[in-house]
Amino acid sequence: MKIVISSGKGGVGKSMLSSALSMLFGNEGIVAVDCDVDAPNLRVWLNEIGKPDKIIPVTTSARPVIDHKKCTKCGKCVNTCQFSALSLSKKVKLNPFLCEGCGACEVICPAGAIKLKPVQNGRIEVRKTKYSFPLISGQLFPGETGSGKVVTEVKKEAEKFKHNLMIIDSSPGTGCPVIASIQGVDFAILVTEPTPSGFTDLKRTLKVINHFKIPFGLVLNKWDINKPLSKKIEKWAGKRFLGRISYDKEVFKSIAKLKPIMESDLKAKEEIEKIKERVEKIIIGK
Amino acid sequence: MKKIAVTGGKGGTGKSTVAVLLALDFIKKGKRVILADCDVECPNDYLLVGQKLGRPKKKVYAKFPHLNKKKCKKCGLCAKTCRENAIFQNPGDYPIFIKDLCSACGACWIVCPQGAIDARKEEVGKIYVNRKDKFYLVTGLAKSGLEETGPVVGKVKDFVLDLAKKERADVVLIDTAAGTHCPVITALLDCDLALAVTEPTPMGAYDLKLILDLCKKLGIKSKVILNQSDLGDKKRIYSVADRFGAIIDKEIPYSRKIVEHYSKGSLFDL
Repeated sequence: MKIVISSGKGGVGKSMLSSALSMLFGNEGIVAVDCDVDAPNLRVWLNEIGKPDKIIPVTTSARPVIDHKKCTKCGKCVNTCQFSALSLSKKVKLNPFLCEGCGACEVICPAGAIKLKPVQNGRIEVRKTKYSFPLISGQLFPGETGSGKVVTEVKKEAEKFKHNLMIIDSSPGTGCPVIASIQGVDFAILVTEPTPSGFTDLKRTLKVINHFKIPFGLVLNKWDINKPLSKKIEKWAGKRFLGRISYDKEVFKSIAKLKPIMESDLKAKEEIEKIKERVEKIIIGK
Repeated sequence: MKKIAVTGGKGGTGKSTVAVLLALDFIKKGKRVILADCDVECPNDYLLVGQKLGRPKKKVYAKFPHLNKKKCKKCGLCAKTCRENAIFQNPGDYPIFIKDLCSACGACWIVCPQGAIDARKEEVGKIYVNRKDKFYLVTGLAKSGLEETGPVVGKVKDFVLDLAKKERADVVLIDTAAGTHCPVITALLDCDLALAVTEPTPMGAYDLKLILDLCKKLGIKSKVILNQSDLGDKKRIYSVADRFGAIIDKEIPYSRKIVEHYSKGSLFDL
């Protein structure tokens, strides 16, 4: 069983919920996976700030290397690149920050002057947490491309751990790292907040979730900052509604001190416990 | 004309809020401002200022592969060439193109010896413009489920810079997505300054390090804006900023009023 936690909008509580659910399901054979490879924070929410047990390099990107002796400056590569990463003045020049490593330049070059070279674009960190379950986190190196491919590698690594439940924390947005995170999961927990942005982004994420035909449930975080909108969202979610979490400045303060929510005595803790029960009922059928 | 990016690494730190408030600040000083919402996967600036998107001003296109089975000889070269693993082929069968993985790079139709792959133009995004007196808001919106959103950001920026020239804008504010990957990189490139919005938490600090590192690699000067500055522990943020030689430009204390205006879409009334 694989669950993804996603949201569209950032900062609505994905990692908070992922960390809390991981701790609650902790004894039931889980593996926690941080697929927000742009900004992986799940380990911080779990207060796992020490060195990982294992670091695995990820090489899923590539960059063209141009042999200027062979290059005839025909410009075909420049015109072909869909990402505007190549330019031609005195010689063909690559802007590595725009390059997707797709290899179109290599295949179009009539002089055989371009060869793609693999690039290490990220790493995977493996930890055994103090809550006894393993945590697998991905990190895309800043300035590198191929976040979706790093996510896929992270999930592959997580598969190696025997588990009943995989909890996947995704990045915000709806693009390639999110698509890679939600592929192949059995259930999606969508988190939102009662703001126009939160609701709009939720619906955008849902388009992607529905495209992959993934069943989902909804968690409403900070529900009490706009009660009328919360009511509307709950009604909209219907039986897919999994529960609400109250807005509490103390959550912010607690995490600033690296204290996991589930080890606090905050109201959010109880609320998340209820959400866990609903999730169990729905997905595991207990 | 100055190009200022509002970014931050972590999601939900207040990028859009800061971008809108900055725009407001510049307007009050009599500047001509264009705010470009380059968070094309989840653009929200229009909601924060109580606007609707209306009809798109421009559409953004990319080319995607379509197989012409009459010409295809099932040689498998396209599947072998595709680095996105978006082409799947069982031995002896026609290749299958998996659109969810396709980045629209074009390598497959270039490599096909039979010319059996057509490149078909498809809409991948829209550009909207809202105007209020001297203030323009340009919003980029990627088609949902689009894998590669960086090129959409690029097109939005081209559009905005054209508009800025025409309108003789003083400032272009570029609101980026969260994270550090391609749509963020595309939004940041060529900016004169990047403002990294963060919060005083360990996560904020960790992600700030990543985004400041990215700005350094891109050769963009950066400053830090610390949001909800009175709620957590500032020390970590100061130490990260210090390491990258970035000053803390502003500290914004927690404000219930901002949160309420945000949720009502009335930030411009502040």
